[in-house]
Amino acid sequence: MPVQSLQNTDVILPQHTPHPLLPFLQSQSQNTLTRLYQRPSSCLSIFRLLGPIERQLIMNLLWLESAIPAATMSAWVMPEGKQAYDEALAVMAGLHIAPNSTVKLALNLTFKSSLRQAITGGGNTGSFGTPADKDYKRQSANIENLDAYALERWETILHYMVSSGQGQNPAKPSQGVLYLLQRSGLMNTAHGAILQITSSGFQFLLHSPHDQLWNLLLQYLHMAEERQMDLVEVLSFLFMLSTMDLGREYSTEPLSETQKAMLEDLRDYGLVWQRKVGSHSILLRWVPSINVLYYLQASSKRFSPTRLATTLTSSSPPLPSSHSTGGSRAADATGTVALSSGAAQQGFIVLETNYRIYAYTDNPLQTAVLNLFITMKYRFPNLVVGMLTRESVRKALSNGISADQIISYLTTHAHPQMRKNNPLLPVTVQDQIRLWELERNRLKSAEGYLYKDFASQADYEYVLAYAKQLDVVLWESAIKRCFFGTLEGHSNVRGFIERRTGAA
Amino acid sequence: MEKASHLSVIVDLSPTQWHLSAQASNQYPLSIETFLSQLLAFLNAHIASKHENTLVVFGALPGKSVMLYSSTELLTDDMPPLDANSYLPFKLVDSTVVRRIMDELDAIGKLEEEPPCALVGAVTKALCYINRITHHSSTTTGVAEDPTTLHDPRILILSVSPDLSSSYIPIMNAIFSAQKLAYVCKVYGPDTVFLQQAAHLTNGSYIYLERRDALLQNLIMSFLSPPFIRKILAVPKQDKIDFRAACFCHKNIVDVGFVCSVCLSIFCQPLPVCSTCRTKFPINTLKRLNAARPAITPASSRMGVPLANLNNATMPRSTSTPVPNGMSNLR
Repeated sequence: MPVQSLQNTDVILPQHTPHPLLPFLQSQSQNTLTRLYQRPSSCLSIFRLLGPIERQLIMNLLWLESAIPAATMSAWVMPEGKQAYDEALAVMAGLHIAPNSTVKLALNLTFKSSLRQAITGGGNTGSFGTPADKDYKRQSANIENLDAYALERWETILHYMVSSGQGQNPAKPSQGVLYLLQRSGLMNTAHGAILQITSSGFQFLLHSPHDQLWNLLLQYLHMAEERQMDLVEVLSFLFMLSTMDLGREYSTEPLSETQKAMLEDLRDYGLVWQRKVGSHSILLRWVPSINVLYYLQASSKRFSPTRLATTLTSSSPPLPSSHSTGGSRAADATGTVALSSGAAQQGFIVLETNYRIYAYTDNPLQTAVLNLFITMKYRFPNLVVGMLTRESVRKALSNGISADQIISYLTTHAHPQMRKNNPLLPVTVQDQIRLWELERNRLKSAEGYLYKDFASQADYEYVLAYAKQLDVVLWESAIKRCFFGTLEGHSNVRGFIERRTGAA
Repeated sequence: MEKASHLSVIVDLSPTQWHLSAQASNQYPLSIETFLSQLLAFLNAHIASKHENTLVVFGALPGKSVMLYSSTELLTDDMPPLDANSYLPFKLVDSTVVRRIMDELDAIGKLEEEPPCALVGAVTKALCYINRITHHSSTTTGVAEDPTTLHDPRILILSVSPDLSSSYIPIMNAIFSAQKLAYVCKVYGPDTVFLQQAAHLTNGSYIYLERRDALLQNLIMSFLSPPFIRKILAVPKQDKIDFRAACFCHKNIVDVGFVCSVCLSIFCQPLPVCSTCRTKFPINTLKRLNAARPAITPASSRMGVPLANLNNATMPRSTSTPVPNGMSNLR
């Protein structure tokens, strides 16, 4: 019976991994968070970053005027959901959204009133960004230009990372970006003054754009703390950007000094677009709150968030599909629909059972990323052909990329044709990549001492038995009459031998 | 990753019923203005939950149903002006829904007799809409995914009107197609038998609201959560479901009905010929049934299936469904 089957289907809970920003927020003081919660846009964005259970709980509590007994709320919890419920409460307590209490349950008053205000509108906090007056002289940037700008900025950063240390000289991102990359440990200056990508940098390249973006922004937040910028200003500006409408212009007038300084940085990352007003008018600006002298290029008093910024709190792709081939032009026409319906970026990789990879791309960045773990064979205007070989994969592994990362990169970027296969990637290839990784783990090193030249077999066995009791033997050979013990066990074993020779 | 969810809301906009609802003689009067402000807060809460959540609102007006708001297409030309104090998507929903409702209500004008609300039309439109967005997104990605897993679609019906027995068959047909697609219908409104059944069949929930001033809290508690959350946080549900069906001949709600064994049509009295499929029944059976009709005896219960089973029996045409003896001999 269909009715029966409907009720019996076990809905498997989607795995919700907490957003990378949440631990950072939890590490902040209650005072900072409460100040942050004064802005409706911040509350809305944080609300969206939370897991589904937390969101439902907040909504349940949002319109209640007084605290309710915790028992009332937990009475709604299914027995099998108890753990998830407790975890959700812990997250909310950590963020000071709902104070941890076993008796009463209520939302933080500031959070409650701000989120209510976000949902019903009104108030005068202006936290959703003040729109700029219409500029009839100049046309504002349209969405296509914004996307192109964001993409160009972002790919410059990634391309710079991937091609560092390969003798190529791609366009350099700005100093601020370089500093951030270095600061976050994605690149370092190991050999001389040239920036080199690190193993975490290689891993970074294989992440999704959304993860990459938050990764960098988190580093930015840490850096902001060190520069003694006001964290509330920084965070609320990011959240404000995430609630803005793509393709509109906003005024810089109501922004604080810190936030105006941030505009500069965010422009470099491609989150914000600003029209340049001639390069001759360079202003020196002293920003008292952060004690930094800024060379402000006089930019116009308006800015537009790009898709990178407006999708910060969503899971839709932050970049338009990054191919510029004729084939994807057609996709761009329907791009807005595809993006709004949450469709993933178009895949381009075909992997065959014979380890061959066909990548339908002409994007230098994607080619460069692929080059991290495949051996290139041919390049055509819209197609790159390569092989997964033992050497190429080992090279990637020695760079710090793991087999799982390679496999997940291939999976997420698989061509639509590949999606018909089940499993998506050929099992043989997956297994082989994992085997190649295991190969590297054949040798295990341990520091220790080798005990040899025992006078008699009896002596050897006696000492060995003692060492085994202490569980410090790593290797033994009865024929050669020697064994290898760990560093920690040495003093004991040595003392034992000395006592024995002394007694004899 | 958590999926985006789609919510179709169907609002009953019968002027007469809302007028009755707002009257002070009710214990908890609810005027359409307060209702709308609470509804809009609920709609915003749905959009707030996730950036990709989609929403469509249908209005069931007397005699016709209209789409009031859709998050995928613009229904009005002019965008509301940007405002630093409100989130644009929220503002868009609020202004569009209110404007469209006002326009539609103004257009109704003075009628001598109000035609019944086109609830069925709205439900059907909502189903078509869901079908279209799930179908559309599966073709653009080129991924042969199960369409039902894509959007996690739900339908919420907010009703103030009592049952309209003439719409039993179309409602049930719509509900069965919803059931096939595994959509969840959630119903909220006065004591209506059909909507109770609709919620039950689609694994949704039905709530009769006593304290109408607590509409928003009720909406959020019971209807905001996507289905998988309900495995963790229970939602209020009504246990008692009225399973009675309406007969095909007079559209009355019947306690004991008679079911054609060929096409499964329901009648309130034994007929010589099925009005739906034209099957002739033997005169002996009719006599026996008519004799058994006044009192429910074992003889009649063979024929008149207790209607709790009927909903199940109407769906699959398998041999395992209890088929009345007399009629099954007919073929």
